Amino acid sequence: MTTQTAADQESQPPVVVDDDSEEELHKLLLPNINDLPISPPSAMESNFVTYFAPDFMKPEHDQYIYRHANGLCVIGLAAGHVAFKDEGVVTAVDFNVGKSNRSEIKVTGKRKRNAQQFEPNTALCKVCTNHAFYIVRCCVKGSLLEVNERLIKQPQLLNSSADREGYIAIIMPKPADWHKIKDSFITFDEYKKLRHF
Amino acid sequence: MADDDVTTPAVDDRNPAASGDAVTEEKKLLEYAVQELPAHAVKELISHEVCVRCIFRLFIIHEGIYALISPTILYSIIEKATEVEAVTTNSSQKSEVKSSICSICLGVMQFIYRDQTDILVEKDHAADFAMLVAESVKEKYHEIASFTLEVSLPTLITENESVILSHMKKKYASEVWFQEKFSFEHIISVKDALKLSITPSLETLLGVKSSVSDFRIRLTYEHVDAPSAENRMGKNQCNKRIKSGNGFVNETVQSGDVSDFNFQLKKVGQPCHMILTCSTAPVYIGGRYLKLSRNVSQTRWIIDDERKGEASVEELIGENILPMCNGDGYKFHAAGREDIDVRMLGSGRPFLIEIQNARHLPSEASIKEMEKKINSLESNLVRVKHLKIWGSQGWSLMREGEAEKQKQYAALVWISRSIKDDDLEAVSSLKDLKVLQRTPVRVLHRRSPLDREKIIHWMKIEKIAGSSQYFLLHLCTQAGTYIKEFVHGDLGRTQPSIGSILGCRTEILQLDVTDVKMDILNE
Repeated sequence: MTTQTAADQESQPPVVVDDDSEEELHKLLLPNINDLPISPPSAMESNFVTYFAPDFMKPEHDQYIYRHANGLCVIGLAAGHVAFKDEGVVTAVDFNVGKSNRSEIKVTGKRKRNAQQFEPNTALCKVCTNHAFYIVRCCVKGSLLEVNERLIKQPQLLNSSADREGYIAIIMPKPADWHKIKDSFITFDEYKKLRHF
Repeated sequence: MADDDVTTPAVDDRNPAASGDAVTEEKKLLEYAVQELPAHAVKELISHEVCVRCIFRLFIIHEGIYALISPTILYSIIEKATEVEAVTTNSSQKSEVKSSICSICLGVMQFIYRDQTDILVEKDHAADFAMLVAESVKEKYHEIASFTLEVSLPTLITENESVILSHMKKKYASEVWFQEKFSFEHIISVKDALKLSITPSLETLLGVKSSVSDFRIRLTYEHVDAPSAENRMGKNQCNKRIKSGNGFVNETVQSGDVSDFNFQLKKVGQPCHMILTCSTAPVYIGGRYLKLSRNVSQTRWIIDDERKGEASVEELIGENILPMCNGDGYKFHAAGREDIDVRMLGSGRPFLIEIQNARHLPSEASIKEMEKKINSLESNLVRVKHLKIWGSQGWSLMREGEAEKQKQYAALVWISRSIKDDDLEAVSSLKDLKVLQRTPVRVLHRRSPLDREKIIHWMKIEKIAGSSQYFLLHLCTQAGTYIKEFVHGDLGRTQPSIGSILGCRTEILQLDVTDVKMDILNE
């Protein structure tokens, strides 16, 4: 009995699986289809916490602040922004506001040299529709790392995907500044309720 | 404390029949050699408490330094030759001279020192001292192929020697023996004398040859009254310049007088402290690793005392290999890395574990044993293959290959519409596609904002049965491509992306590295 067990153990395949076998690898790669959600959360949803600043400085000037776990904030126009109500079409984006053109400052290096320090109410750009223009603001105090230059040539990105490719800018706030201001923003659920989405 | 002093009995060089002849022979040679020495100069050196071996050193008499003769006999030989009347008339002074610390070598050539436990050690000659060294080495290291002996001495030795030499030059420069025989360049340094005198015995006792070796035996002498050479050099560079060469000697000759000499010669009553340390070159064990978990980081990752992930590849491999090499520590080097939530499958990723101060060089069989041990860990988070010992060249080879090599991935992708047959063709037809990636938002906080061009060599969509919106994307890319961003587009900051190619929203749910194409560690 005992000898048989020992023999059985010996004849068992070694613990090390032959990883070179394509089949073995493929088995590992294939997911169980039943475990997959019908519609998975987007990269934005899973990597960012969303905040909203409704009526920022002016009525219906709704902006979003998507905050990454690393502290960076992606700033953009929220779905309820008045610009989308004006026949729903943004026709131009102009970063030439204030003392400098926001799209012309090139931030370099790990230490983010040249990055400008902006206040929450500092203008980022001007969004134009056929009838009016609206100032988009930083919402958070911090270093402006980049603005979305694609919007200059493709302002329609704001119409098609304001919450993704149509983002306005990326700002790096200091942790302390962020903690001071974050309570003035509302959550996505609160925003939906506010704007009756 | 003087009461605690321990004097280990020396090997008796007068009694044993075997070595008796050799000693007699040495004694004869030495007696012959010392006849040539200028008696009055030697006498003066003795009066300045310069030890016999240092005297032989200064007069370049090798036999005197290496002879297996106790200092007492060495003195008697010198006394006979130079007719040191003072000493012969006063026998009690003899023993006094013997035990006083040499004013030049501070006891190093007298084999007098305090060991790590502050116990005074006093050996009659080199062979006895070598035996102590050898025993200490053998205690910890059992397998030595060869050794290099290193000696570090207090700078006070060089300084005092300079003082003595300049004094002699000043006093005896006009004498014939000085002009003909004395040479500053050829004096055997304390360091060399010590090495030369114990190396033959060490070779015999350790059973291996001394050579340029990875195994180093280091004797560090330090003196409480004098900083070590290392300390001094760091603090004051110009100090070193003055001391080195004969510059110092010449300078003092010009300006010095006898009162200077006595002032400059710093006599010490205490011997040096000696610390013996051994070190080996690191042992490199390399192979390829597989990471089967999405919750294991490549290296130990701790932020604010909190561990990220349940373990790390570095520790799972290192902690298992280290004890088998009996080393002091390990360092983990890998050819690139993957995110914590990315598995490393297929070929595995080349890595090297650097074992520091390994006392045991594992055999091929025990390397296989290590591999088996790691691969049968119950956690089954990490596996290794092709494990073997590498020279240090594996390190550079791995670094070189890292940047240029191709990486192959499998990504689980979801798209916002149903997959069409055209999609498969649209993706697979793209060869060596150039992609412009702006530094991903995910890492932008710590990396420089840059546009990087990367190449996607090929791609292939593998449909998953039972799903119209999920597929496996197999792709082969240039090293350094951000795959997650290439799939979801990173707010349009990577262009093109799978989303822009297929014209819909794309999300990546899982990523695995399936191949790291490098020419090393493939078998």
